[in-house]
Amino acid sequence: MRLEKCWFCSSTVYPGHGIQFVRNDAKVFRFCRSKCHKNFKMKRNPRKVKWTKAYRCLHGKDMTQDSTFEFERKRNRPERYDRNVTEQTLKAIPLITKIRHERQKKHITNRQKQGKTKERERDAKELEQDIQMLPKKDVMLSTQKTKVVVKVSQQQTEENLMEET
Amino acid sequence: MATRIQFENNCEIGVFSKLTNAYCLVAIGGSENFYSAFESELSDVIPVVKTSIGGTRIIGRLCVGNKNGLLLPHTTTDQELQHLRNCLPDQVVVQRIDERLSALGNCIACNDHVALTHPDLDKATEELIADVLGVEVFRQTIAGNILVGSYCAFTNRGGLVHPHTSIEDLDELSTLLQVPLVAGTVNRGSEVIAAGMTVNDWTAFCGSDTTATELSVIESVFKLREGQPAAIVDDMRKSLIDSYV
Repeated sequence: MRLEKCWFCSSTVYPGHGIQFVRNDAKVFRFCRSKCHKNFKMKRNPRKVKWTKAYRCLHGKDMTQDSTFEFERKRNRPERYDRNVTEQTLKAIPLITKIRHERQKKHITNRQKQGKTKERERDAKELEQDIQMLPKKDVMLSTQKTKVVVKVSQQQTEENLMEET
Repeated sequence: MATRIQFENNCEIGVFSKLTNAYCLVAIGGSENFYSAFESELSDVIPVVKTSIGGTRIIGRLCVGNKNGLLLPHTTTDQELQHLRNCLPDQVVVQRIDERLSALGNCIACNDHVALTHPDLDKATEELIADVLGVEVFRQTIAGNILVGSYCAFTNRGGLVHPHTSIEDLDELSTLLQVPLVAGTVNRGSEVIAAGMTVNDWTAFCGSDTTATELSVIESVFKLREGQPAAIVDDMRKSLIDSYV
């Protein structure tokens, strides 16, 4: 049993799901559900269909290159079974998935951060240019006197008081 | 020493087993007779491994190997790959290939030094063969057939090819492979040599349909008969036979 990737949307195909199509040149196409299969039959290019992983990776929406992806590569030259290695691999797998998810989330937040800075710039520019559009009450608030705190040494004032009396 | 056996009443031994100088792969049959035939001959010398490839029993035609390595088709499951890696000695490199022609046993024939391949094999696969098996690779046909892996069986000491191979072809192949070759049949006239028998440097297993003549040809070309008895027969022949017909 092997968890394959859907050719169209790149999601995992679990056992008992999906359709496999074998072309005459012996290339196998696996689909996770009929939605992907029907899109394939319509000859749609997954790189142009917005909701697929292929589109998102191509247009930089999702993380593409990371060392955590290397762990899931298909290997054709196996290593001899070693119990310790297997045990440590099994322990490491959930950690690696957690780190990968964190990095993917980070990638998306970083991508959206640029939008925040742009929004701030736009707001500052609007304040500068279009301030007369705001109602008078809000404009007054900006020109109010601000309290200034002056530090006076305690000893001097006491001396003055003593002198006066 | 050639032995006659059957796999579940089928004489195509080369389909259900793979014999090399370093290991032997056997298909999982209903009864243990097939496996025990190999085990009785070989188990103290080389590991005899029961396996399937891609869930099928036709392992002899799907995989190809020699003492240096074993090549498996892309249909091999991860569990089977791991099983083979665990059972075979460390010197044998187990590798799975992505190749359009997935019946590697039909497309590639090899011994420990030379390999003959299907003319349409990928360049990348050819390089992998040279790397994993440590052999020199030649693209050839045998008697006009492109499936070289099925129509010839050769080891480091001799080879048997399709009966309709012309003498020129035979000479050419012989010089390429550097072993003596003979055109012959197996299993009462079956032309598919490699499917009907499996052979290594010191043993051969043939289908039970193989006639005594075919068996003697096999034993002589692969040099399976022990040295001494053959020498004795040669010496005695001069005194036993007074005229050739």
